[in-house]
Amino acid sequence: MAQATTGQAPGVRIDGLSVVYKTPAGELPAVRDVSLTLEPGSITGIVGESGSGKSTLALSLLNAVQPPGRISTGSVEIDGLGDVVGFEGERLRKARGAHIGYVFQAAQNSLNPLKTVGKQLLDLGRSHGVEDLRGLVREARELLGRMGLDGARVLDSYQHELSGGMRQRVGIMLALVLNAHLVVLDEPTTALDMITQANILKIVREVHAERGLTTLVITHDIGVVAEVADRLAVMYGGRLVEQGPTRQVLGDPRHPYTKGLIKAIPRLIGDIDEARALPGRPPTLASAPKEGCVFRERCALRMDICDTDDPAALAHGPRIVACHAVKVKEHA
Amino acid sequence: MITGNGIVKTFKQRGSVLGGREVRALRGVDFSIAKGGAASFIGESGCGKTTLGRIIAGLETYDGGEIAIDGVPMSSLTPKQRQPHFRKIQLIHQDPYSALNPTRTIHQTLRAPLALRAKQTGRSRTWMDERAAEVLSLVGLDPATVLARYPHQLSGGMRQRVVIARALTVDPEMLVADEAVSMIDVSLRLGILALLKDLRERLGVSVLFITHDVATARYIGGDGDLYVIYRGQVVERGPVDTVIADPVHPYTQSLLSAIPVLHGLEQPGEQPVVPLEALEAGQDDAGCLFAPRCPFRGERCETERPLLRLTEGVPQEHACFYPERRSVIARPMSEV
Amino acid sequence: MSATLIPEATSATATMRRNFWQGVWRVMKRKPSRMAGVVIIVGFAFMGVFGPMFFPDHLPGNANAITQPPSWEHWFGTDPQGRDVLALVITGSRYVLLCATVTAIITVVLGTTLGLFSGFKRGRWDTVLMRITDMKLTIPGLPLLLVLATVWKFGSPIQMGLVLGLLGWGGVARAVRAQTLSLRERGFIEAARGLGLSTSHIVGRELLPSMAPYIAMNMLISVTGAVYAQVGLFFLGVLPYESDNWGVMLNLAVFQAGAMIQPNALGYLMAPLLAILLLTLGIVLVVDAMDEIFNPRLREE
Repeated sequence: MAQATTGQAPGVRIDGLSVVYKTPAGELPAVRDVSLTLEPGSITGIVGESGSGKSTLALSLLNAVQPPGRISTGSVEIDGLGDVVGFEGERLRKARGAHIGYVFQAAQNSLNPLKTVGKQLLDLGRSHGVEDLRGLVREARELLGRMGLDGARVLDSYQHELSGGMRQRVGIMLALVLNAHLVVLDEPTTALDMITQANILKIVREVHAERGLTTLVITHDIGVVAEVADRLAVMYGGRLVEQGPTRQVLGDPRHPYTKGLIKAIPRLIGDIDEARALPGRPPTLASAPKEGCVFRERCALRMDICDTDDPAALAHGPRIVACHAVKVKEHA
Repeated sequence: MITGNGIVKTFKQRGSVLGGREVRALRGVDFSIAKGGAASFIGESGCGKTTLGRIIAGLETYDGGEIAIDGVPMSSLTPKQRQPHFRKIQLIHQDPYSALNPTRTIHQTLRAPLALRAKQTGRSRTWMDERAAEVLSLVGLDPATVLARYPHQLSGGMRQRVVIARALTVDPEMLVADEAVSMIDVSLRLGILALLKDLRERLGVSVLFITHDVATARYIGGDGDLYVIYRGQVVERGPVDTVIADPVHPYTQSLLSAIPVLHGLEQPGEQPVVPLEALEAGQDDAGCLFAPRCPFRGERCETERPLLRLTEGVPQEHACFYPERRSVIARPMSEV
Repeated sequence: MSATLIPEATSATATMRRNFWQGVWRVMKRKPSRMAGVVIIVGFAFMGVFGPMFFPDHLPGNANAITQPPSWEHWFGTDPQGRDVLALVITGSRYVLLCATVTAIITVVLGTTLGLFSGFKRGRWDTVLMRITDMKLTIPGLPLLLVLATVWKFGSPIQMGLVLGLLGWGGVARAVRAQTLSLRERGFIEAARGLGLSTSHIVGRELLPSMAPYIAMNMLISVTGAVYAQVGLFFLGVLPYESDNWGVMLNLAVFQAGAMIQPNALGYLMAPLLAILLLTLGIVLVVDAMDEIFNPRLREE
C-alpha cells in the first residue's frame, strides 16, 4: 500500500528557531537560535535533560507551542509543506497527521480512556477527511500486525486493557496510519522496561526503513539514541551544543557537556571509578544566563569569553559544535 | 544483617465482576544482606523486586517465610516489637518530590524524626538542630541554604539528598534505594550514586539497590550479590561482576542483551538473547515461569519448575535446567 | 559552630507566620475578584458583630408607614410593623452569621477529624466510623428538625448552629476520608510511617496541612450551606421564631405582607435575598484563592 521510496521522505530544515515563554520575569527563551537539518530518510535523535528545550523544539515542528509560549524567530521548513511556522488553522491541522506524525510521550496519556482504539482511529480518519475508512482500518491492522500485535483485538480494546508496550505501539500506528512520512517520537520508551524498550526501538528502525520515513526521536536517554539514530544532536539550556553522526559523537565527543554526560554514565564493565559526576545542575527557564555560554558554570574549560559571548555553532565536516574552547583548539 | 527465607507474598486483586484474582508477587524468595554490605535486585516492572524491597523496609506484610534482623526472627515478636527493628531499615523512594511534604520546609521535615530520636535518647533541642545540620552536610548539602526552603525550591537531585538525610536521622543500618535515581537528570545521577557509596564507606550502612538499570547497581553494590528476579522468583544470584560478565539464565541474558549499546563507544555483545513474544501466560502453569518466552526451552522446562541452586561448573546460583554461559553485554571498542 | 547557622526555633516560626500572612495578602491581591470577596466577607463579619450595636434593641416601628416600597428615607422600604428593612437586615444578620459559623465549625471539625482517622487507620476503625456516618446520613434531617422544633425553641443561634452542625458532618467526613485515602499512599506519608512517627503526628502535621485548602474550602462552603439551611427552615415556617433574622423576614414578606402579590413589599422581600446572595458571592470569590494560599509553591509565585 505505502510506496517505500525515499523520494517521499521529506527533509526538514530548522533555521535559527527561538521559542520564548512569557513569565512574570518577562519573556524567557526555552529554545535559542537552533538550526538543525533532518536529511530525507534519516533518523535523528535529540538528547537533552530537563530544561534543555527538546520537547519545546519537537512541538515547534508541528507549530504546536501553546501560550504562554510562542515561536519568536526562525523557520521550520518541511519539504512538501513549506515553512510550518507560518501555518494556521485548517492548513496547520491538515499538515499534522497527514504529513507529520507525532507520537506523544508516554502514549498512555494521548489515548482517550473512554473509547476503543478502533473508534479513535475512525475519529482520526474522519477529521482528516479520509473517505476510505475501511482501507484505513485495514492499514492500521497491518501496521499493528507488523509490530507483533493482534490487530483486530487491539482495535477493539480500551486503553486500560493494553500494556505499556502495546500502548506505545498503538501510538506509533496512529502516527503512521495517515501515511505521514515525517514522524516525531517524544520519549518513546520512558516508563517501559528494558526488553520492551529494545523491541520498540527495533520496530522504529524497521518501520522507518520499510516506509521510507524521516524520523526524529526526542529523549533524555542517550542509549535510546545510540540504538536507533544515524545522527545525534545534544541540547542544553535551550541551545544545540553539538551534532553529528551518532557513532562519531559518542566515540569522540567534542563539546564539554557531551563529554561530561557520557562520562557520568556508569558502565557495565571496566573500572567503576572511571565514571565522573558533572558538577552543578542543568539550568531552568529562569536560571539560564541571558548572555554568554549557558554551560559555563559546569565547564572545566571555561574561559573569559564564555561569560560574555554565546558560542556560535561551527561546522567541522559533518560535526557541528558550539563551544569557544573547541573553536580555539581546532584553530590552534 | 537481614536474612529472609522462603518469602511469599500474594496480592488479592479486588476484581469486580470476575471476583478476586490472586497475584503471586513473591514465590518463596531467599536473600541475605550483611552488615555494611550491598545487594542489588534487578528485573522488569511487576517482577516483585519493589514488593520485596518494601517488605524488607517493613512497609509491607508477607504471607509466608521468615525474616530475621540482626539474628532475631521477626515471627517471634509482636508487630509492635518488630517496629524498632524495621526502623533500622529505611526506604528511599523513586520520586523525591512526593517523598517530601510540599507544605513543610526542610527544617520542619527533618525536625519530626529528630524530635522522636531526641526523646528516645534524652537529647536536647540544640542537639536536634546540630544533628539536622550534620545529616545535611553528610549528604553534601549546605544547611544554611537548604533548611528554610520548601521542596519545590530545590532541584530533583537536592530533594533526593534531603530524603536520604531524613533517612539518616534515625541512624539506620540499611538503606533500601528503590529506583532512587530514575527520576533524576542523567548528569546528576552519578552524584547520588556516589553519595550512597560514600555513606556505605563512612557510616557502614548497608545498601539494597533496586533498579532496572544494571550499571547503576554495579556502581554501588559491586562487591555484593546481584539478584535477578522474574515473576516473583529469583532466577539467578551471584557476585555482580560474575552475573554481568557470565550470565547463565536465559532471562538474565535477555535483560542484559536489551541494554542499549553506545555504538561508537562500544560494540555489541557476541550472543545477544532475544526472548520470544508470548501471550498472557496463566498464573501458575506448571513448569518454568520463563519457559513461554525462552528461546532455549526444552521439554523438561514445560513440566517442572527449576529451583534456585548451584550446579557443577557454574559459580552462581541459578534456576534453570540448561544453564549456559553466553557473552551478551557490550564491550568497549578498545577491546577489539 | 553549626548552631549559629540555624535560626532560633522560636524566631523561625514567627518569621514563617509573618511570611505566611504576607503570602496570603499577595495571593489575594492577584485577582481583583478576590479582593472584592474579602471586602464583602469582612463587611458581613463587621455587620454581624458590630451592626446591631448601632440600633436599639427593639426597632422603632412607624405605624404610619407600614409595608412601604423603597424610598430615600427607607432604602429598602418598611415591614408590616413600619420598621426599616435595612435595619432589620443588619440586626438580623447576627443570628444568621453566628449560627452559620457555629454550624461550619462543628461540621468541619467533626467531619474532618472522623474522616482523617477513618481514612488513615482503615481496618476496623474505618468500618466502625463509617457505619456511624452512614447511620447519621440516613437520619432524615428535616423531619428530625421538625420534631425537635416542637420541644425546642431555637432562640439562640448557637443552639441552632449546634443542631445543624451535628446533623451535617456526614458529607464532610466521607469527602475527607476519600481525600485521606488517596493522600496516605504518597511518599512522604509512607516515609513518616517508616520513620516511626506517631499517628497523631502524621495525621495532624503531615496530612492535615496537605489537606488545608480542601478543609478551608469546606469551611467556607459550609457557611453558605448553613445560611441556606436555616433561612430555608425559617422561611418554611417550620421553626418557631423568637428573633428577627433573614429567614423570618422572608417568611413574613411572603406570607404576611403578600410580597408575591403586591409590589409594596418587594423591598422587604428583596433585601434579605440580596444579603444572602451577596454573602454567597463573597465566599465563592474567596474560595478560589484557597488552593494558592495553602500551597507554598503557588503562594510564592
